[in-house]
Amino acid sequence: MEIINVNHLTKNYGSGRGVFDVSFSVHEGEVFGFLGPNGAGKSTTIRHLMGFSKPQSGQTQIFGKDTFSRYNEILGNVGYIPGEIALPAGLTGWEFIRMMQNLQHCRNDERLKTLLDLFELNPSGETKRMSLGVKRKLAVVTAFMSDPQVLILDEPTSGLDPVMQEVFVSFIKDEKQRGKTILLSSHIFSEVDATCDRIAIIKDGKIVSDFIADDLKHASRKQYKVRFSDAGEYASFLQTGEKTDKWEIVKKEPDVFRLVLSTDDRYINDVIELLSRYKVTDFEHLKETLEDYFMRYYKEDKNFGGALS
Amino acid sequence: MKPIIEIKKLTKDYGEGRGVFDVDLTIYRGETFGFVGTNGSGKTTTIRNIMGFLQPTSGAVYVNGKEARSHSSEIVRNIGYVPGEIAFPDLSTGTEFLRSQAEFLHTSDMSYAEYLIEKLQLDPRAPLKRMSKGMKQKTAIVAALMANPSILILDEPTTGLDPLMRDAFLEIVREEHDKGTTIFMSSHMFGELETTCDRVALIRNGYIIDVVSMQDITHRKEKEYKIEFSTENDYIRFKQLDYTVVRDQPQYHQATVSVTSEQIEKLLRDLTNYNIKFISEVTYNLERHFKTILNQKKENETYVR
Repeated sequence: MEIINVNHLTKNYGSGRGVFDVSFSVHEGEVFGFLGPNGAGKSTTIRHLMGFSKPQSGQTQIFGKDTFSRYNEILGNVGYIPGEIALPAGLTGWEFIRMMQNLQHCRNDERLKTLLDLFELNPSGETKRMSLGVKRKLAVVTAFMSDPQVLILDEPTSGLDPVMQEVFVSFIKDEKQRGKTILLSSHIFSEVDATCDRIAIIKDGKIVSDFIADDLKHASRKQYKVRFSDAGEYASFLQTGEKTDKWEIVKKEPDVFRLVLSTDDRYINDVIELLSRYKVTDFEHLKETLEDYFMRYYKEDKNFGGALS
Repeated sequence: MKPIIEIKKLTKDYGEGRGVFDVDLTIYRGETFGFVGTNGSGKTTTIRNIMGFLQPTSGAVYVNGKEARSHSSEIVRNIGYVPGEIAFPDLSTGTEFLRSQAEFLHTSDMSYAEYLIEKLQLDPRAPLKRMSKGMKQKTAIVAALMANPSILILDEPTTGLDPLMRDAFLEIVREEHDKGTTIFMSSHMFGELETTCDRVALIRNGYIIDVVSMQDITHRKEKEYKIEFSTENDYIRFKQLDYTVVRDQPQYHQATVSVTSEQIEKLLRDLTNYNIKFISEVTYNLERHFKTILNQKKENETYVR
């Protein structure tokens, strides 16, 4: 079942800014990654989904309801972490939490306590005094405390320290297990990699790529960089090492007696067995990341010269 | 080496254990100095003390030999500062803001600003209110650097930047380093400190736990390999060999061993006697270094209790 729907959404802010004919949907129980460079239109799309902004054309729906005209019927079941956190002035963290509980018509103090413990947040101070990371934690806790069915997360971990990023990722995995539908926008590939089922990339306001995350994860395929003690060892390895279908030599650097071989996990014992007959001085596992794949979509070459004159 | 930023026994106590305590750090001319710590550990408080925005509870900070708090207005003009949270004045566009900033800094040469704008792919003509977080961050970076200050204080400057822009920014930091600029930069991303910094300090609960030189991290002789064995039996047999096991996860039949480069050959030879699922190198990096130190700290504290 489709829970989140974006149908031909267009919002033109002029000078090429905005989103143009964006369409995608997120199914029940799915984590959908929404990626793209700064200014590509991620937050604009998300703000339409939250009913904050009226489309020029097209429509955004959650639970089949139009998010702009019927936001008050939807928002009770949607947890939202905004990309930029602006908290109302003059409140303590506790006052903000109580205020949000009233708006959500939900007070589940047991879940609240679990979340405060999990994210190591003490909301007693004034929000004005809180550091960026602590405000971020407050936004995370308030988005999840009513246990909503749908989560819309706009760069939720930006400003969180690595320990908290890890906590957040395992929390998202748990929520997915519990059947939540999640839209996650992020610049941090490792967290997208760890959580998302499908990924869409937006650039200059248009969806440029949409695919299943698993297609990218050749998890059992690994590359190893191997360095030999001298030219003789290197050449002698290549003589036997090249004649096999268990692995592939993908890169050769004869002047430093180094090569990269790509193999499947099930052949690793064969690789070790062969290597053990040679003088190996360095052996390193190379990680293939989603990042390498995405970076080409991020490349830009706009000209902003003379913008100040 | 000439000290540029001297933090001497700095304490700023906000009560309930919050703040910074007895912080001692010296940053020398031309040095890029990294600053890491968990949320709320005192990074921004330290930085705000360097800028002279706060009155220390005790101790002091000196910038170019001048006490920071009493010379704050002078320091603000001479340091390029990117704050952790950006609040722009009430002006219409980025261009207007950058011009007013140039006036404040008494600079008329906008060529470096133009260079930065190009490099960061920033369109400053956009209204400040309409700018996304990434664009605001870029605008703040241009504003801080455009007058070519000799000191840069950067509080989580890459937060909100996409990966490509992060790379572009780090390149700018390295260029500044090559020009001889003294740089103090906080970050949550170990990777970006590794590629830019000469030294990095770790702060926890307001106390400096460790200061490490990147040279010592990158030039280590030992390597660590994580090996997973197919069976428990193989795992147990392997552990009887004479290797230094730095991490042991019996439930997964995994052992992480530390070897010198001379021992790698022997390790591979030994491994042919076992069935293994995978072997991968655990790179010794800044993150691992600090995690090790934090774990040691935690253990010590448990013993004290």
